[in-house]
Amino acid sequence: MLRLEGLACGYGLFRAVSELDLEIPRGTITGLIGPNGAGRSSTLMCVAGHVDLQAGRIVFDEHDIGGLPATERVRRGIAIAPEGRRLFKDLSVEDNLRVGGMIHKANLFKADRDYVLALFPRLGDRLGSLAGNLSGGEQQMLSIGRALMARPKLVMIDELSLGLMPKMVDLCYEALLRLKQDGMTILLVEQNTDRVLSVADHVCVLESGRTVWSGSAADARKDPELAAAYLGLR
Amino acid sequence: MLYVELIAQGLIQGSIYALIALGLTLVYGLLRILHVAHAAFFTLGGYVGVMVANQTGSLAAAIVAAMIVAGIGGILVFRLCYQPILHQPPFVPLIASIGLYIAAEELFRIVFGPSGLTYKYAFLQGQVIAFGSLRFKEAEIAVMLGSAAIIGVLSLLQTRTRIGVACQATVSDPQMAESFGISLRKVGDINFFVGSALAAFAGVMVSVLNNMVEPTMGSVPSYKALAIIVLGGLGSVRGTLVAALVLGVVESFGTIYLGHFLDRNAIAFAFLILVLMWRPQGLFARS
Repeated sequence: MLRLEGLACGYGLFRAVSELDLEIPRGTITGLIGPNGAGRSSTLMCVAGHVDLQAGRIVFDEHDIGGLPATERVRRGIAIAPEGRRLFKDLSVEDNLRVGGMIHKANLFKADRDYVLALFPRLGDRLGSLAGNLSGGEQQMLSIGRALMARPKLVMIDELSLGLMPKMVDLCYEALLRLKQDGMTILLVEQNTDRVLSVADHVCVLESGRTVWSGSAADARKDPELAAAYLGLR
Repeated sequence: MLYVELIAQGLIQGSIYALIALGLTLVYGLLRILHVAHAAFFTLGGYVGVMVANQTGSLAAAIVAAMIVAGIGGILVFRLCYQPILHQPPFVPLIASIGLYIAAEELFRIVFGPSGLTYKYAFLQGQVIAFGSLRFKEAEIAVMLGSAAIIGVLSLLQTRTRIGVACQATVSDPQMAESFGISLRKVGDINFFVGSALAAFAGVMVSVLNNMVEPTMGSVPSYKALAIIVLGGLGSVRGTLVAALVLGVVESFGTIYLGHFLDRNAIAFAFLILVLMWRPQGLFARS
């Protein structure tokens, strides 16, 4: 579904990611892991159209989308729940969801919202609340829900568990598995490698903007050197 | 009763300030630039208004024409002047805006002459309506009601329509708004159209109140509106409305109690300085 071929991206003269090759098959969860500054978030923002593509190709559904603006990429089926959630804090939960579904006709809103609320029932009680007043976990749910409102084929989620209570993390990961069951393709950036490996089909390990390992999550767990060096597992 | 009358007069003046300053806030919220040339649309509104009114004899036609012409002018300024330089440091669009305002003022002087234009018909003049012992000109009532109606409708559109929500989201986080398919250019067009049309409405109403349109009529409102958006907390629509009305009332009281040694505009800026010493971020700073 998504193929990154020799992707290099960054900000002006700064290169955050160099020569990244990654293939994300349809209906799978792919974990992008690595230390801080490895270029994981920059990769997601580049695929979303917000970080300059400096070299390589971004191929989505067999089309090169590297030259398309962000507004067009979401129409092609790519949505993002970014690092820091970046909700529209002065808008209500319902309006945040409305913005998420802005590319679709207004009459689809209710059905799409109900799908999100079925996934995250906690949001149902907070529809009228300002997004800025939600707890961290609720904000993360809303961030994912807002992305889902775009009816994406691929949803990219950055730092899913960062700063959240374990119970909230559980709820979010349960939602990911349900999304996968519904056929969604997910690209997940996560610090918590144990969590990623528990749900991911594939894993790509980045360090200093380069791929150092790529393969199935099962193989990642079995590789002792990788587990010790990059995954924090023993 | 003097106090009530001063408050009423202050609110009338404040509603004019609010109409002008709202446009500045909309533009600042979206682009983070101080759109000094905004005051040119206040003047443009006055000129279009007086010309259409003198041709047609209809104030309503004058207001509609002024708002449409200024709105389209606003879109042109956004696309031709600001959009190409948005990636530059903030002082570049600011300097461009100041230059644009000076050029517009000179253009008005060249096209319409230095001495100004007046209305052939006496719109909303001469008649006095009394509420108890308070007496107002019809034009003053029209300014108050018109401003309240326009701001009320805008507020409803902003909160109850998809495009209004999209505009709010864009002001909150332009990049994320783009991530969900919202075009910054369309939102820019809408903000510039609405902001410039509001300034034009104020321009028509002020020209009716004074029965005069002149090239420099935007000068004082331009820096007064800048003071108001700073006072309200840059980018805050609610803050801008409150600051405009408060400033109008402060000026109204100030001219009575301090007017013998301070000019009306000096009172406004002294008030601005005092408030900013207390709350440097303005009254309602954005989160």
